This record gives sequence, C-alpha cells and structure tokens, in this order.
Amino acid sequence: MADHLLLGKWGEDLAEKKLMDQGWKILGRNISFKGGELDIVARDEKELVMVEVRTRTFGKIMPPECSVGPDKLRKLVRAGKYYVLKNKWEGPWRIDLIAITVEENENVRIEHFPDITYGGAY
Amino acid sequence: MNAVLGVTLKGVDAIKVEVEVEITGGLFAISIVGLPDAAVRESKERVRAALRTLGIPIRGRVAVNLAPADLPKEGALLDLPIAVGMAKSTGALRFSRPSVFMGELALDGRLRAVRGAVPAAIMAREKGLDLFIPEDNAHEVSLVHGVNAFKVPDLRSLIDYFRGDLELQRVKNDFKADQQKKIEPDFSDIKGQAAAKRALEIAAAGHHNVLLIGSPGSGKTLLARALRGILPPLSDEELMEVMLVRSTVGISSSRGRERPFRPIHHTASAVAICGGGTNLRPGEISMAHRGVLFLDEFTEFRRDLLESLRQPLEDGEIVVSRSAGSVTYPAQVLLAVACNPCPCGWFGDPVEQCRCSSNDIERYQKKLSGPILDRIDLYVPVPRLTPEELLSLEGKCGESSEAIRERVCRARSLQLERWSDIGSGSNSELPEKILRTRLGLSREARSFLGSVAGTLKLSGRGISRVLKVSRTIADLDSSVEISTAHISEALAYRQTGFLS
Ligand SMILES: [Zn+2]
Repeated sequence: MADHLLLGKWGEDLAEKKLMDQGWKILGRNISFKGGELDIVARDEKELVMVEVRTRTFGKIMPPECSVGPDKLRKLVRAGKYYVLKNKWEGPWRIDLIAITVEENENVRIEHFPDITYGGAY
Repeated sequence: MNAVLGVTLKGVDAIKVEVEVEITGGLFAISIVGLPDAAVRESKERVRAALRTLGIPIRGRVAVNLAPADLPKEGALLDLPIAVGMAKSTGALRFSRPSVFMGELALDGRLRAVRGAVPAAIMAREKGLDLFIPEDNAHEVSLVHGVNAFKVPDLRSLIDYFRGDLELQRVKNDFKADQQKKIEPDFSDIKGQAAAKRALEIAAAGHHNVLLIGSPGSGKTLLARALRGILPPLSDEELMEVMLVRSTVGISSSRGRERPFRPIHHTASAVAICGGGTNLRPGEISMAHRGVLFLDEFTEFRRDLLESLRQPLEDGEIVVSRSAGSVTYPAQVLLAVACNPCPCGWFGDPVEQCRCSSNDIERYQKKLSGPILDRIDLYVPVPRLTPEELLSLEGKCGESSEAIRERVCRARSLQLERWSDIGSGSNSELPEKILRTRLGLSREARSFLGSVAGTLKLSGRGISRVLKVSRTIADLDSSVEISTAHISEALAYRQTGFLS
C-alpha cells in the first residue's frame, strides 16, 4: 500500500476505536458505491451517522473542518442517501467529520465535528 | 391544539404568526417556510446552537412552517417561538395554554430584547394569550394594562418552566409613568426674545405649527428645542401611543411624559424621515408623534422631501407603501420650522450687513411657500440681540418653562372642554364650519377683522388662521370672547408680516 493509503487506514482505525469507546455501534467500514465511499457508518443512539475520516500530518494550513469541500460533501450526501435506501433506514441520519492530525512532536490530535451539512438543503 | 405563536409587525400592530414544526426521518436539515432566505439562515443557526447547549438535539428533517405565509416576517422576532416549536416537536416540553413567544436568541441561549414588545402585549391581551418576552422588554410591557406576560432570561429557563422545574417572573403591571425629567433647555435659560417666547406659548397652547425666522446665532434652534418643555405632559393614552411607536422602532426608552422632540436634517433620506426600509420601521415623523418635529434650515430641504411630508401632516398618520402591501404609522406632530431671513442670513440684522440683492431675497421668499409652509399658523421673527441688549439682560432670568406650561395646560383644558363634542383637542384642528359659528368673536372684534381683512388683503385661509390663533390667545387670557386686542396680536404672526 502507498504511504498515504496506509496513513488513511491507520486514521480510520483510530476513529473507529474512539467511536466504539464512546458507545457508538459500528455498522460498517469503507462502504463503496459508484461515485462515493463512506469511511465509517455507525449508530449514535437513535441516529445513523456517516463518518468521514480525514488524517493528515502537521504542516497543513487549512483547519480540518474546512477540508471537506462542497463537492465532497455532495458526494457524501449522495452515498449516504444510497446507504439509507439500501438498508431501509427511515429514521434521522447525519454526516460527521473526524479529523486526525499528527503533530510535529508526534502527538495525535483527534477532533470530531458533528453535522457538517449544517442543516442546509442537500 | 396548543399552538406555538409568534408575532410579526404591521404598522404599530402585532399580527399573530403560527409556528408549526414537523420533524421526520432523513438527513439532518432545517427548512423554514415563510421567512426571507437570509433571515432563515441566521435564525436557523441561532436556534440550533441554543437548543444544542440545552441538550435538546435536533435530528432528521425539520420543516418549520410560519403561517400566514404571505405576511412579511422578521427572523429575530421569531427565534424563540421557532426554538419552542422544535423543542415541543421532539417531546422535550409541553404546555397547556396557547402562548405567544418573542425574542432573539444568542448562540448560548440567552434572549435579546426585540422590537415590537408593546404591540405584542396589546395583541396578547386582546386575544387572551400568555406572552413570553425577553427580560429587557419587561419595562415597556409593564405599561400595558391586563396582559399576562412572563420575563424570560434564556431558553433554558423557559424549558424548565414548562417542565415545571422553575417559576418565571411575571411582568408586574406598573402604569405609573416615569418621573418627568427636566427638559433642557429651559425657557429661563434663553436670554431676551420675549416676543418669540410669547409666540411659542401660543403655538403650544393651541397646537399651532410655527416658523422661526432669524439670522445665524439668533437662538432659533434653542427656542425650538425648548418648545416641548412648555407642552402639556403626555396623557396616559398619548404615552401609550408614543410607546407603541418606540417599541416598533426597537428603542427601549424612558416612559416619561415629556413629549418627543425630533429634529430632522435636510440631508436625511426619505426612509429615515417617513419610514420604510428592508425591515419596515417608522421614520422620524412617527418618532415625533404627539411631540415636536423640527425642520432646521428649512430652505435647504429638497422639494420631494417636503412633498412627502405634506400628506402625513394633513392626516396625522403616514402610509408607507411597499411590495407586500402598505402600512400606516401615526404622525400627529407639532411642526416647528426654522430658516434664515435671506440667502446670506443677515437681512434685518442689527450689526451685520446683508449682501443679498433684492432679486435674491425675492427668490428666497418664494421658497417659503408651498406644501409645508401653508400649514404654518405662526410666523415668528427671531432677531439677534445687540451687544447692548445682551449686556442689559446680564444676570436677569426669564420665566421658567414650568410656569409657561401651566398657562398652556389651562388653555388646553379650556379647548378640550369646548370642543369635546366635535372630538377636537386644540384650536388648530378646528373645521372651517365650527370656526365661523362657535368662536365667540365679540362684535367689535368682528367688525375690526372685517375692516383689516380688506386693507391687508387677507385670503379666506388667512382669515381662518387669524381666527384660530386669536382663539388660542383668548384662551391663554381665560377669555370667553375674542377681543379686538386678541385679533391684533394674532395679525402680527401672519406670513406677510414677518419681514417688515
Ligand atoms: Zn442677505
């Protein structure tokens, strides 16, 4: 595997562990559809959550919550809708971002941003 | 059905808005039908953030419907009812009485004061609804008789209240107006100008519009500012009218009985003066309702601006039109206007030399006619004092505003009593028919006016004006009859008399 793919997988593992630690039920990993992929699908109590995981090493200027652009967001929404349909989920669902940053001193920072569609129309 | 209600404003009236919230499964999204887009975005963020801090998560597809849909609405006023509607749909709270909510949410859930609390209180009282308002709006709402209103510091307190965990403070009715503040400047602060002061006393007593004409530094502006200090204090009803306008504009204010004084500058926009704008608000003319509207440097005002003041001055209210229909704001004002006697300003001055040609002066005088000036009853020269006069007045103190106000109030109550059957509060508003028949003109006064009317070439309108003003002078004199002396004093305030 290429380095950045290895880093990505490492980050997703870390995110999954964090979610399980806080009591979420993990329903799936790396679920691919035509035109989109869901890194993690999980249950937060009554809500289904599609989690996008971003892993980066230090030196990036952009804050992590800005790293998902509108195009990527639309793709995530499309993939999420497809998943919900396929699994006959009729309850509420949302899209979260988990950003993992490896800092200069090898510290690992994990940040969790819920609802990255901000209640907008998609 | 215990609807969640909010309000929107139409003129100085609050209109009930029903807030319906439906939450279904699906991707988290909030849509608000019935608000302009920009307002929706802001309101949505405030409401969601505020609910989240309370641990009330909003999930799924949230559809907020604001009915009636065709009324223009303002997001900030509706934050609280939208938040309550959402919380209610998630089952986080329930309530048993139909209630009206108003308030803008801060992101942390605190409530900010909004405009329109007084109109909302009147609406809630009429419809028998409970009213929940931001704490900072309580002072103005306490003036509204018989409304069942609660002070809400923040969203959490409101939710706890509906869960039965907390009591909210009721707004206590308090109809006592604030202590009347001393109005600056006082008439005793103004040196000399006995004639102009007398004219303002007449203006205040009969509600006559007045034009002050004088050179720069003569004290016209000072006199105009002092005028409201000799007007009778606002009655309960008038105070409520003034509070309604202030609340609609959104300025929290004292509830004193002193009348408003609103100066407008000739560079002001039509919207600032007449009202309107994106979030429809009353203008200066409505802020001056039941008080004094002052136009300084009158000849500098654009024609179209003056034209737009004509109708409201005649009707006592102003209609503001916009795409979504028109609204009406009150605009009963005593008009005070000031200007220079000539373009350079020094015509008739005891010291400075006027540099204007007779043509200049004639053209200038022509400007002193038209839509606003024909509503002026009193033309008052305000000459600059000579250095000698100033010296001789050193240390002398004129009559106080309070003493003058007492005479004005007496004259007003005579008018109120006399005209109670025709619903007029002052001599200046008298219909023509009444003028001719019920003025109490003495026989000598009648023949005197008849003879001077010819010599002075008084028009029909000019005669009416002289009659109204002389009635006020007689009232200040506590005289049932209008005498020849009253008529001749009134004649001195005619338009043609002011430059000689
Ligand atoms: Zn001049």
